[in-house]
Amino acid sequence: MSRTASAERAEPTAGTGQPVPAVVASALHKAFGRRVALHDLTLQVGAGEVFGFLGPNGAGKTTAMKILLGLVRPTGGHALVFGRPPTEPAARRRVGYLPEHFRFQEWATGEELLGFHGRLSGLGAAERAGRIPEVLERVGLAGRGGERVRRYSKGMTQRLGLALALLHRPDLVLLDEPTSALDPVGRRDVRELVRELAAGGVTVFLNSHLLTEVEAVCDRVAIVNQGRVIASGPLGDLAGAVTQLRLLLDRVDRDLLALVGRYGDVVRVEGTAVTLAVDALDVAPDLATVLVGSGYRLYGLVPVQRSLEDVFVDLVGEVRER
Amino acid sequence: MNVLVVAGWTVLEARRRKLVLAGVVLSAAFVALFALGFTLFYNLEERSLLDAQAQVTDPTSMGGMAGAREQLVVLSSVLVVLGLYGVQFLAALLGLFLGVASVSPEVDSGALHAVLARPLSRLDYLLGRFLALAGMLAAYVVVMSGSLLLTARIVAGYEAGDVTRAVGLMILQVLVVLAVSLLGSTVLPTLANGVVMLALFGLAWLGGVIEFIGTVPPGNDLMVNLGTAVSLLLPADAVWRGASYHVMPPSLLVASSLVNQGGPGLPFASTTPMAPTMLAWALAYPAACIGLAVASFRRRDL
Repeated sequence: MSRTASAERAEPTAGTGQPVPAVVASALHKAFGRRVALHDLTLQVGAGEVFGFLGPNGAGKTTAMKILLGLVRPTGGHALVFGRPPTEPAARRRVGYLPEHFRFQEWATGEELLGFHGRLSGLGAAERAGRIPEVLERVGLAGRGGERVRRYSKGMTQRLGLALALLHRPDLVLLDEPTSALDPVGRRDVRELVRELAAGGVTVFLNSHLLTEVEAVCDRVAIVNQGRVIASGPLGDLAGAVTQLRLLLDRVDRDLLALVGRYGDVVRVEGTAVTLAVDALDVAPDLATVLVGSGYRLYGLVPVQRSLEDVFVDLVGEVRER
Repeated sequence: MNVLVVAGWTVLEARRRKLVLAGVVLSAAFVALFALGFTLFYNLEERSLLDAQAQVTDPTSMGGMAGAREQLVVLSSVLVVLGLYGVQFLAALLGLFLGVASVSPEVDSGALHAVLARPLSRLDYLLGRFLALAGMLAAYVVVMSGSLLLTARIVAGYEAGDVTRAVGLMILQVLVVLAVSLLGSTVLPTLANGVVMLALFGLAWLGGVIEFIGTVPPGNDLMVNLGTAVSLLLPADAVWRGASYHVMPPSLLVASSLVNQGGPGLPFASTTPMAPTMLAWALAYPAACIGLAVASFRRRDL
């Protein structure tokens, strides 16, 4: 089963020899009445990538994901999942999905729900019997599958949603805010799960407004705001474009600022701490030597990478100011 | 295949939500009450009629005997039609509620998102829902009307005109109501749909009454046409009237048309068979509703 799945994964497009992208969105537009949720969304996610789709609440992330599942029809543009329009049921055969609000039929037990979804995804009885306990175990619900979903806590329901998304060994998993109901341990579990999926060649499309979550697992991110992608690229490019050094000294005076100014731009001064933007970290040893040689006492010299959060706030803030 | 998976899931839902249990318990109570009432009432009437007849001075006259027998047939017919009227009313309301609760609550709660993200077409989903509910309702109608007719047969030797057609039309009537409320469930929120469907159901019933009143002094075509027009909107009551015709024994229909000079008989039943065009419309109606439901649900954003 898993062998066929991985064989399919590597399957190239007929003719071109290029692997099919897992997700293609081109010029997606969606209006709900007069409210425009997506303006002109274009993005592509390669097979095997872990893609983070970031944006503030109401940016259009969930709408975009629903279009990729055929749940919502775009008013413009088109979407493809493994080369097929997601409104075709067969195109969704290789896709797993955790909805944002993870609501399921509460009258059923976890196992019944997994059985129903397994049948819909074409798993045979023997496969279901093996796979259901396996996914329950994987998401930390071992032994709880016989309970009604109504009795589950919010966190357990979200874990059940993850089990449903993984049930049929999909090649693409769409997770919409997968840790919203989880405690810190649960969040770490999800990070591990995503890494595991990636290691197995599964493409992960992660919607989140939690930057740390995305930062920890994604290869590439797109930041979306008000229905448009305002930045995208590999995480390192977005977050690490500027490197900063943080210096802790015994005193800060004009001479010091002039001195460090030769190595980079002073970003801010807080008490006796100076943050310096530099082109490369190579300047750090020289800077230390010069500072000590000039009579300053150096308590610390730490490279600071700009976090995704800084990038995010800068970009979203810029758009809002416009 | 997926249609059957959804249908099986729907039956499981009905069981889990105690719908089946409630249905069985209430139906058993209904049938028991009918059996008790029918038996007591019939036996009482039978005795008083036969006593009255015994007091007739001329024992060789067979006219009194035939009159008493005919009166008993009329009595049991009225009781059976009333009982089945209760059954079809309950079944139609059940169909209405099940149809109203079939799609929109799952859309509202979001439980449908994960389901329709599977390789499941919306056509298969709706068909699966409809087939399961239709099957359960049909079984309900068969068991209930069968129990009533059997009771009447054992107690009074009652022979319906055409049991298959009567029960078949009663099932059709429930499917008509189920299909239209399922259609409503794909376009309207649950509560709004419930209100609309109840109003429609009441209107159809009223249409039947208007049509009946139109025939009381025969020739009131405006009333009859008005009633027919309402029946086209929801041919539920019209189909029930068609079913009721087949419930009554042929001897009674002949007798009543003779005795009443073609009069209407009962206000909630019909002494004439259903018009073929109305029957064709009623048969096409559920299919048309499901077709519309699929067309609208396909385009719906979830």
